[in-house]
Parts: sequence; C-alpha cells; structure tokens
Amino acid sequence: MIINKIKHFICLLLTSIGLFALQGQEKEKVTEQQLEEIIISATRTERSLSSLPLPAQIIASQQLLVVNAVRLGEILNEQTGLITVPDYGGVEGVQLQGMDSQYILFLIDGMPLVGRSAGTLDINRLSLGNVKQIEVVKGPSSSLYGNEALGGVVNIITAPPKEGFQGEVNYRYARIDQHNISTQIQAQKKKFGLTAFFNRFSSKGYDLLPETNEPTITPFINTSLFSRLDYALTDRSTIKITARLYNESQEIQTSGSVLGEQISNEWNLGGQFNHQFSNRWALFSTLYGTRYYVKDHLYETSQTGASRFFDQRFIRPELRLVFNAKENQIFSVGLGHTYEYLERTSFIVNPTFNSPYFFFQLEDQWGEKCQVIAGFRYDDHSEYQAQFSPKFALRYRLNDNMALRASMGYGFKAPDFRQLYFDFNNSSVGYTVLGYNAVNSRIPSLLESGEVDQLKIPLETFAQPLKAESSLGINIGWEFNPTNRLKILVNGFRNDIKNLIDTRVVAQGNDQNIFIYLNIDAVYTQGFELDINYKISDHFRFSGWYQLLYAKDKTAVQEFKSRQVFARPAIGAPAQRIGKEAYFGLFNRSRHMANLKLYYQYPRAPIDANLRITYRSRYGLFDSNDNDHLDQYDDFVSPYALWNVAINKHLKAQHKLGLGINNVFNYTDPSNITNLPGRIFYLNLSAKF
Amino acid sequence: MKTINHFLPVTLLCAFLISCNKDDDNSLPVEANTVTNLHAPQTSNYASNPPTIGGDFIKFDFSQGEVTTSATDWDIAFRGTTILVNGGTATGIAEEPPRTGNAAAYLIEAVFSEVTQITASQFIQDASSGPAIRTGSGNGWYTYDRTTHIISPAAGKVIVFRTADDHYAKVEILSYYHDSDTNNDGQYYTFNYTYQPNEGVTNFEK
Repeated sequence: MIINKIKHFICLLLTSIGLFALQGQEKEKVTEQQLEEIIISATRTERSLSSLPLPAQIIASQQLLVVNAVRLGEILNEQTGLITVPDYGGVEGVQLQGMDSQYILFLIDGMPLVGRSAGTLDINRLSLGNVKQIEVVKGPSSSLYGNEALGGVVNIITAPPKEGFQGEVNYRYARIDQHNISTQIQAQKKKFGLTAFFNRFSSKGYDLLPETNEPTITPFINTSLFSRLDYALTDRSTIKITARLYNESQEIQTSGSVLGEQISNEWNLGGQFNHQFSNRWALFSTLYGTRYYVKDHLYETSQTGASRFFDQRFIRPELRLVFNAKENQIFSVGLGHTYEYLERTSFIVNPTFNSPYFFFQLEDQWGEKCQVIAGFRYDDHSEYQAQFSPKFALRYRLNDNMALRASMGYGFKAPDFRQLYFDFNNSSVGYTVLGYNAVNSRIPSLLESGEVDQLKIPLETFAQPLKAESSLGINIGWEFNPTNRLKILVNGFRNDIKNLIDTRVVAQGNDQNIFIYLNIDAVYTQGFELDINYKISDHFRFSGWYQLLYAKDKTAVQEFKSRQVFARPAIGAPAQRIGKEAYFGLFNRSRHMANLKLYYQYPRAPIDANLRITYRSRYGLFDSNDNDHLDQYDDFVSPYALWNVAINKHLKAQHKLGLGINNVFNYTDPSNITNLPGRIFYLNLSAKF
Repeated sequence: MKTINHFLPVTLLCAFLISCNKDDDNSLPVEANTVTNLHAPQTSNYASNPPTIGGDFIKFDFSQGEVTTSATDWDIAFRGTTILVNGGTATGIAEEPPRTGNAAAYLIEAVFSEVTQITASQFIQDASSGPAIRTGSGNGWYTYDRTTHIISPAAGKVIVFRTADDHYAKVEILSYYHDSDTNNDGQYYTFNYTYQPNEGVTNFEK
C-alpha cells in the first residue's frame, strides 16, 4: 500500500515533466549497440549503471588511456563531481559533493586502503596500470561499507585475466623529471588465470617557492607490484587471490640539504572464495589484510623526529550471501569483523579497534518502472557507539528517455586513532595537540605542574566518549536522454553532517596553545550538478559538467545571522558586524566548478586527440582576518582553469605513441596550490605483445 | 604623531543634547579622536633564553589626548604589543613604569560605536599575574599570524579604560603598522578613542 502511494506520488510529480519531454521527443533509431556499463560498488552485486537509482559513475580504462594518466590523482581531478586538493604533508586527496578526503572510502576490488596519518589518504600512492575501471559512488554509503564511506566511495576494479598470454610495457616521461615505467603480463589457461603488474614512478620533485627552506615536493621513487590469481575450482567455485606491494622513499630536505628520507611500505593481501550453490544462491567469502608503515629515517639521529613512524594494520574477514529470489529481486546479507591496530610516535597507547558488523540489502523492482534498493548495516565497535546505517534508493522510469531517482542514506566516520590518542608536541612552533582520550591523563598533570593556567573547555566536557561523525545524505536526480546521442543528468544533493571532529584550544600555557579533538561542528553541503554527454558524431564526443555548491557550518550561519561576527572592511578600518551575506562557507570549497571535455577519434590514421578543461571558482584556505570564519573580507585563492591536451597515435593497434601537455597555460599559485607544478609536457610509449 | 579632530560633529551633537537638558549646563562634551602612528618600540635580545624584551614604555594621557613623559599624569602605556594601565601593581617585566593612579581596563566584544556605557564590575588592573590587557595572540587586543608574522588588531574588540583619575575612555586599535600599511614597520599604533571628560559620568554619550 505504501509502495503504491509512493508510486502515485512520484507519478503525479512527474507528469508535468513528462509532458514537456513528449514534446521534445524525437525517437532516433540508432543501430549502434551500446555496451551496458556494469557497476559493482553501488550494491556489491553486478548492476547496470543505467538503471541504478544512486548517483554513481564509471571511469573506463579507455578513458585512462586516452589521457595518458598513470596515477589515480591525475584521472580523478578531471572527473565530474570530483576535484583533487593538496593536503598536509604533500599528499593529495579528493573532494566530492563538498565532502573532503577524510570522508571518502578508497577501495581496491572492494577492499579498503588504510594509512591516513593526517586524515587524508594519499591517492597518488595508487598507480593505474592494471585497472579495468574506477567506480565512484556519491553520497553516504555506510549501509554497505561502514566506516569512512560518509561522503562516497572510490573503488578501483582491477582487470581480470583474458584467455591466452599477453603483455604490455609502458613508459611515460614528463617534464619535471618524472619517469613512469609499467609492465604487465597476464595469462589464462582454462581454470587458471594470472596477472602481474609492476610499476616504478620517480620524480625529482619541484620547488614552487624557492625562497622557502623546503622544496614543494622533494624527490621520490616509488614502486608498486600487483598480482592477481584466479582459479576455478569447479564450475561453481572460484578462488581469487590478490596481492599488492608498495614502497616509496622520499627525501626529507631543509635549506637545500638532504636530512634523510621517509620510507613508506604497504602491503595488501586478499583471498576470496566464491561459490554458486544454485542459480539462486551464491556465497562470497573474503579474508583481507593490509599494513601501511611509514618511517622517517634521518641521517643525524639526534634530529627531532628522527624516529617518527606510523604503522597501521587492518584485518577483515567477511561472508556474504546473495539470493536471487526472482528476476530483479536480489537479497544480500553479509557479516564480518574488522580488526585494526596502530603503532605510532606521539601516541599515548598503541590502540586496537575491533568492529564486528552485518548488513542487509534488497534490490527490487516494483512494477515495470520502479527500481528500488533498501538496506542497512550495523557496525559494533570497541571504542565508540555502535552505528546503524540505513539506505533507501528509488528510480522511476517515466518513459523511454526520462527517469527520476531519489536516494537517502546514512554515513559515518569513526573517530580515527589520531583523534583519540594523539599526544603531539611541536616545540619549535609551540603547540600541543591531544586526542580526546588523552585529556584525562594529560590535562590534570599539566594543571598540577603549572604548565597551563586556565582551562578554556571544562574537563566535564570529556565525560562522554567521542562520537562518530555522521551524515545524512539526500540525492534527487533527473535523467534525460532525448536522443541516443545526448544524455543529460541533473542531480541535487544535500549532506547534513553532525558531530564533526575538529580541534579547539583546551588550555593555554606559557604562550603555547594546547589543542584537542572534539565533536563540535554541524555542517551541510548542498547544491546540484549538471552533467551533459553528447556524441556529436561517431568520432566526436563532448561532455560538460557544472556544480553549484554551498558548504557551510551551521553554527557559523547562526553567528552571522545574529550578527556576532566582526570584520574590518579594509586594513586599518574600524571593525563592523557582518551579516550572513558575508559568510562564504567552509574552507577549500568553491561555489562553482565545471569541466568541459572534447574527444576526437580519427579512425583511418588511427589517431585520437582530446582537450579537457577544468574550472574552479575562488575559494578560501585561511581565516586571514582571524574572526574564526571564512567571510568576504578574507583572502581568497583566485579562480582558475586548467587546460590539458593529448594526442595519441596507434601503430598496428598494438603500440601507441602519446604526446600531451597538462596545464597548457602554465597556471600556478605557488603558495596556495602545491599540487600544481605548472605546464608539463609528456611523452608516452606503450607496446603490447 | 598627530591627532585628528573629530570634534565638530560631536560638539554639535552635544550642543544639541545639552540645549535639551537645562540641568547639565556645566558638563563638557565627550572627546572623540584618532591617534595615528604612535610609535612604541621595544628592544629584544634573543641571545638570552628566554629573550629579554626592554625599552621605555610610551605613556598616553587621555585628558590631554597626547603622549606624555610625566611620571604620574598618564593613563596607559605602550611598548611593542604590550599595553599597561596606570593602576594596580607591577607585572614584573623589564622597565615598566611605576603605577601611581587608579587606572583599569577591560575588553569587550563590540563595534566601537556600540559601547555607550561602562560596566564598572568588569575593570581589572595590572597585577603580578599579568597586565589587565592580556598579551599573546588571541588573548588580548591582537592576533599574530605565525606564517606572515603580522600583528592584526582583533576585529570587534573594544578596550574600555578607567583613567588614572577615575574618568572613562574607550579605544579601538586599528593598526600596528606605520600608516596602517602592514608592509611598513610595526610598533606604530593607530587607534580611535572616546574620552568622557566629566568625572563620574559612566557613558560616552555626551
């Protein structure tokens, strides 16, 4: 009954839009077969992207090839809805629907990556060589993935082996002395398949601000090794083992002299056993482990930070049962356990997290036109409150070329180790950062010894355990395909995040501040995106994307509304109260973002070429006028556009010569955009055998 | 150092108010002025640990509206980012002038024009635990940017003073740099103040 009501409501809502569509309808019979794109990450079952009720996208391997991308960051920055942003310590993260990197879960074949020493997972750890496709699911996805999937999920799907024996060698040289060498071999014979991929990536780094002591990016070398083994035990059972090794060494420099190096090591090992009991029942079992270890090796062991390290381990067994009740009706249930362990300098303990979980999901079809996904996940946790994450999504097909979809989901991010157990003192600048759980052991002793005089936040505040950050996300989208060549998508989104964890000054000592992690903020991100794909001809393709974003702190909005915020309109001018129109929003968020892409393929030569432009409107990185908020009187990073071009010549369909320029107009902003080294010419050679 | 006179409009306004109030014939108009480029240098010796800060405090007298060298007839004194009042006890820093009066101060979060009335209970005086106007970034009248090393007067902070001889004044510091240009030398104060010359009057309205 409820179902019918919902349907009727939606029908009513859409009638007007439907009428409009009928007018513009021109049924173009194109004989061309469109390959159905299959996405796994949205439901953890194979699902056609075109009928999915959730906002998601697929970056096919072909797209990586034509733009000669070798690192994950290079390709994500050009995707609709995503931008990459530089973060602390020279790492690069992504932003999705205004949610930053800390809230986006990164997976390889569904298995999570760890190692966020400062909150952001460095996406440039990931080389792109053996990738089948990259899947991006937008909006809270904790109903399937639990922790960290608060803003969305990025899942790298590796390529399965193909019949026979094949190999590929690839070399890319880019100015700024960047070398990328990849080799891949793969073989399959009946039941047995093997893939092996090796990558070495090195750069001399670059220095955007030569007058400072340290280069922007210091020289580094990293190597990745990935191998995947597929074995069919029987017709119904398969075994898959994946292994990845990563090593990086990067110089640590000050004032032109090399002090030492930072060495990162990572391994990921996954074993899967899948069994198809019948046409209806299937079992998926996984055992996954990973370790990320980074250590500073300084030549002078007396240097501060000489033995700084970060060592995280993660183990997760999981069982999942999938039941195809009937066509278009799939039940999934799963249960698993996550074990995490961290050893790190500047920690009060070596913490261990244990988190058992289970989840349920129903994919269903109501009538002819309505597709539904409903599910939830329950995560218990040894250190904080258990989380219940529901999700509901619905897609309604109005007619052959129009559909409406809506989804609502809950996402959470558990307080990470740092936010609970940190005890870090920077003696050169003079501040201390404490994890929430370090307060009760550290503050009383500091008070007693007289190192701090007064508490700005009373100790009673810390009686309750730190809460997980959580988000409720809503997406409402309208898909419109007036012809087979044109696809238009409009998606509105709103994410309400509460219990956001940030640092505040808890006490002041002898001219040094003591910061603490706390649940303080409630923020929202909302806006809409417009995505257009147009196939101008068989050889010419255009795509465009625009996003409008408002990302604001709710407390700040109230403070501006009640005119409690002050600013000087100019340096040296008397202060004024400023109203809510002066509030810009969260840091590092641009109100407008857009990209335009043109792909051309000349079949006879054969040559392909492309032009990609990405645009970001102004944004603020610092509260330059010290009123605790980003307002119109603060300093802003200027808006900018990046132009990338590439041209590829294919030789005998096996070999490829690629030439390109990233950042054609040599745009740089040395003090604000550290991941933008200026114009880069590159040459890419690849040979298959 | 020069003093810009904002007298005329204030005087006219007061004249108008006075004309409506026959009882207060003897009262003086409030004085609203801007002081620019008050130079308050300090010496720093970083060879010692902790560094020793020294130099003469530059004293200011609200009733005269000028810098003074008088040992007793001063209300507040500047050196670097430190501001002392002529009231209370020594804070223990080098070369501070002895207190001879009853001055006190407090900070209030407001726009300058909004501060029309003093709150007597808020006043504190200099003491061995520190000056009435706290030092350190974000604690008192200024914030310090560790990257650019710029001292900015915190927006929306008004300092209310009781003078050495129990009159009241309010101050908004506008800049710490010569000609209010942060590229120029620091330790040059520019500030707006309003002084209530009538004894016992606790507002800044006339």
